[in-house]
Amino acid sequence: MSSKQQKTTIDPVVIITFGVVFLGVAFAMLLFQSPGGGGVAAAAGAGLWSQIVVAFVTGITTGGLSCLAVQGGLLASSLAHQIEQDYLEHAAHKRRHGQKLQPVVRTSSAFPIFLFLIAKIVAYTLLGALLGWLGSYLSLSPMTRAMLMIAIGIFMLGNALRMFNVHPIFRYFSIEPPKFITRYIRRTAKGTDTFTPLFLGALTVFIPCGVTQAMMAAALGTGSAVMGAALMLAFTLGTSPVFFIVAYLTTELGARLEKFFMRFVAVVVLILGLVTVNSGLNLVGSPLAFANLTRGLFPSESGSASVTGSPQPAVSEGGLFLQVKNGGYFPQTLKAPANTAVTLNLVTNQTYSCARDFVIPALNFYELLPDTGTVQVNIPAQKAGSRLFFTCSMGMYTGVILFE
Amino acid sequence: MIKKTYSIPDMHCSNCSMKLESIEDDLPGIKEINASYHKQQMTVEFDESQVSEAQILAAVTKKGYTAEEQKM
Repeated sequence: MSSKQQKTTIDPVVIITFGVVFLGVAFAMLLFQSPGGGGVAAAAGAGLWSQIVVAFVTGITTGGLSCLAVQGGLLASSLAHQIEQDYLEHAAHKRRHGQKLQPVVRTSSAFPIFLFLIAKIVAYTLLGALLGWLGSYLSLSPMTRAMLMIAIGIFMLGNALRMFNVHPIFRYFSIEPPKFITRYIRRTAKGTDTFTPLFLGALTVFIPCGVTQAMMAAALGTGSAVMGAALMLAFTLGTSPVFFIVAYLTTELGARLEKFFMRFVAVVVLILGLVTVNSGLNLVGSPLAFANLTRGLFPSESGSASVTGSPQPAVSEGGLFLQVKNGGYFPQTLKAPANTAVTLNLVTNQTYSCARDFVIPALNFYELLPDTGTVQVNIPAQKAGSRLFFTCSMGMYTGVILFE
Repeated sequence: MIKKTYSIPDMHCSNCSMKLESIEDDLPGIKEINASYHKQQMTVEFDESQVSEAQILAAVTKKGYTAEEQKM
């Protein structure tokens, strides 16, 4: 006797869930396409809005699969299984008492899973707010943030290598929750009331997957409760569709399928890890960062502008001009005379991306530029042949000043 | 009550240990299961009069894993 014999119908809850998710994707994409187009982007601060979109996309791709491996297999499946059991018991009870058996209504299983996911989203959003608030309390300097990014990147790389099963040592990159927590969650999952899925959903904060843990670290790095909350909200919202599908279909992933998913997740986490480490290196101003390495190998002629003979109008004599745009810094390579103090003019014009968060690591200079205007930075005399790297606070956009 | 340790070579994430530990809720006579993804092993404390080793191994197989007893 199994519910598999019952005909499944498309559930309104499923339609609503997917509707909300796809609207979210469309909304995010719309704003991502036009970062300078509205107050939301400006309010989100320099580039943090794009961070939210990245969090959402990470959630819907790797996060969803990764969470599925850690939380989904046990929680969602056991929850759905439990609901299935409850329904069968309910049906058997009605049959015993001679009541007419009603057809299976899938809402009975979809709704608790929906509650579970809502609770999960709320719990992670609150956790994000808490982490962001803690981050603001710590007031992370660009250097601290760089170290945090490198640490997160190494953590992600370690997890990717763990998933590839490169060496047993990498298993230690997976944080195992304490036994009493997993045991408590498992036993709570046996409850049957409406409160149970809500409670279980909230409890998933104690068993975050590798990608979630990395996202939690990113929330800490935002240094803002609102941004931390928004980041985790976007991420958990992104993870929800995969979670929902699996729970709703009440199929436990076979080991083979799970391994296939893990390979896919591993590749994406590996790439994300490399990107994160590289961003951290950019933020430290390391010549080992990918952009700085390749810039040395293939100097871009078109991207260079020298202080003398600059085609741009001079704000002050001997000044360097750097256009800070939504897509980065132009030119990416500046040339300046050695052994002379120079003024760097940072020109913004409706710039809302993280390029506004300007950092010169070697000078320990960090400033959030106005969205439109010019900010001058006094650069002390540098030796001939030296290079001064600059970057945005996320290590995404970079450039260099060459002293000749 | 006896305690046995098994090697589970096909655990690939910390969720696997949670799955294996859930066997203690499925079979009567098991006092405690401690599974470790890091060590790739599972320790089971059980009452032989209530549950056999074969039943435990069958439950492990049902969860999608293979277990080999580790001689202490």
